[in-house]
Amino acid sequence: MAGSGHAPLREDLEVLLTVRDLEVEFPVGKGAVVHAVSGISFDVAAGETLGIVGESGCGKSTVAKSIIRLNDIKSGAVDYQGNNLARLEGEELRQLRPDLQMIFQDPISSLNPRRKIRQVISEGLAVWGDEKGSWSQSRIEELMLSVGIDPKFGDRRPHQFSGGQCQRIGIARALALDPKVLICDEPVSALDVSVQAQVLNLLEDMKKRYGLTLLFISHDLSVVKNVSDRIIVMYLGKACEIGNANELYENPRHPYTRALLAAVPEPAPTVDVSEGDISGELPSPINPPVGCRFNTRCSHATDVCFTDEPEMQRVGDSDHYIACHHPVAVSINA
Amino acid sequence: MAEASAANTQLLVRDLTVRFPTTRGTVQAVNGVTFDLARGASLGIVGESGSGKSVTAKTLMNLLPRTAEVAGDVIFEGEDVRRLASEGREHFWGVKMTMVFQDPMTSLNPVKKCGEQIAETLRYHLKRDRKTALAEAEDLLAQVGIPEPGKRVDQYPHELSGGLRQRVVIAMALACEPSLLIADEPTTAVDVTVQKHLLDLLDKLREDRGMSMILITHDLGVARGRCDEIAVMYAGRLVERSAPETLFSDSRHPYTDALLRSIPRIDQPSHTRLEPIPGRPPELINPPEQCAYAPRCRFARSDCLESIPDISGVAGMHEFACFHPANTDRGREALAANLAQGCTVAGLEISGAGASS
Repeated sequence: MAGSGHAPLREDLEVLLTVRDLEVEFPVGKGAVVHAVSGISFDVAAGETLGIVGESGCGKSTVAKSIIRLNDIKSGAVDYQGNNLARLEGEELRQLRPDLQMIFQDPISSLNPRRKIRQVISEGLAVWGDEKGSWSQSRIEELMLSVGIDPKFGDRRPHQFSGGQCQRIGIARALALDPKVLICDEPVSALDVSVQAQVLNLLEDMKKRYGLTLLFISHDLSVVKNVSDRIIVMYLGKACEIGNANELYENPRHPYTRALLAAVPEPAPTVDVSEGDISGELPSPINPPVGCRFNTRCSHATDVCFTDEPEMQRVGDSDHYIACHHPVAVSINA
Repeated sequence: MAEASAANTQLLVRDLTVRFPTTRGTVQAVNGVTFDLARGASLGIVGESGSGKSVTAKTLMNLLPRTAEVAGDVIFEGEDVRRLASEGREHFWGVKMTMVFQDPMTSLNPVKKCGEQIAETLRYHLKRDRKTALAEAEDLLAQVGIPEPGKRVDQYPHELSGGLRQRVVIAMALACEPSLLIADEPTTAVDVTVQKHLLDLLDKLREDRGMSMILITHDLGVARGRCDEIAVMYAGRLVERSAPETLFSDSRHPYTDALLRSIPRIDQPSHTRLEPIPGRPPELINPPEQCAYAPRCRFARSDCLESIPDISGVAGMHEFACFHPANTDRGREALAANLAQGCTVAGLEISGAGASS
């Protein structure tokens, strides 16, 4: 369970965003700290959708927020187009902010209830202006149309819209400044199942239309698979498995990934989830286990797992990396 | 469950209707819901928020606010629970019929130790003395798989994880050995791995005790794996009811059919285009006299806008409320006619791409 090791970083691709050895800690008083993210490295290629999946408390939202500097970073680097976002300050950081936008889990509380949605969507433009240095109502209308909100409702306020529509408005706001990277933190978790698909399809359409790169965070394994090209599985602040979405779900090698997939209410027949049973509770991130962080719940754990932290290493010759001393063998059921 | 086995029927719900008067009009939260539950069986009630599934459960548990206008019959083991005499009422809910709620943190008292909260139930309903009740509480915590129950009885809810808290709530619900447990979204607030453990626990307890269960969930996958029968609700009505396998492989109501197509599935390759359901659920204040799903339905014909379809199909096997059911000739004809016109009678534009029957 190590984020240490740069094996999953790719060099041959047009990489837009690279996170190296990211560490985030939050003080909780009396000198104790929560080790929210402990040395994770990954990259996102231009135009790619990277999914981050894991249980609550695994640090997936913290990773996302760190990238756009919504929380303090203890150490590590976030390279974006030759700039280290982790170290930039003041005006230099501000200049890059429009490039990285975020949409949040709760669509209603992420919109200011006292503003008309036209104002909500145009706020970024009011600060930055569009390419002409000012912004026009037609730009707002174009954005509203593209996310499927009738521009004639521009003067309504968020409470007059449903959750699904509010999420569309949140997407329009994020797109207003022509971002390169869109970070989606559980964007459909608060929506009803019949509306989820509408928003997922909209994100896919917007990605194509505006050439976006997506970072998609969710605890729902089926949703993450559907939207992602590549997926990171996180556990207790570390990455345990990274790989191509289809490959990862077909041949999960980390015992934790198997456990997650085995817990899906309807395990798919095509997914091998044998040996993926876990017991016990998530250990405290204040005092995480030494060695592999998964050792307290893993049925494969041996002495080495309690002393040495496994390094990320490549599995076979495909885009698939895992941090485990005892990867689960791929079953031979061909 | 078939009417024939009436002796084995534990719960009979007939024409249950719940209305809430509000300043904007009357909310028709539940409309004529009818179902049976056999002893020891498990029924899943599936629907979106606002579909009336939780209100149905709360009606069964007599937990609705006084303003609610309830009509219909709820017969539990031969007794009409809505007309129970006061002495019968006191030890009915919480004893024979109990409920587990979604958020364990809000259903537990934050300033009382877990053991005492469970013991309270035992002392009130079964008149146990304090010491016996606490010992039984510890035993119950062990039964729901809580490690170190002796230590947990003296802990407060905030000292436990979400999964353990929900186990405490389950232990409390089981304290008086109920014959029916209603679980309202019991795992929505927890992670998948914890969800699996909790559902496994409920399955085991149900089997060990011969208890029946109503599992309310928005997750079709959860209901599929855990229930003998699934009832799908939409806009306050029960629209389809059958065994899980039939529902998943041969659904009749276009809503069920569309719902199954719109959910991302884990065995599909990534970037599989989803088929969303257009529009959104209807308002429940003064709804028009028509099929509530018609405005979103690809199969809708003029009769769907003229009256509300009754439940039909094979009673106790596969029932549905639709004039043009999916996966039938009638449905195929309706869809073909709508496709030829390019839109449905409700004005929904449809095309040949995507869902078919």
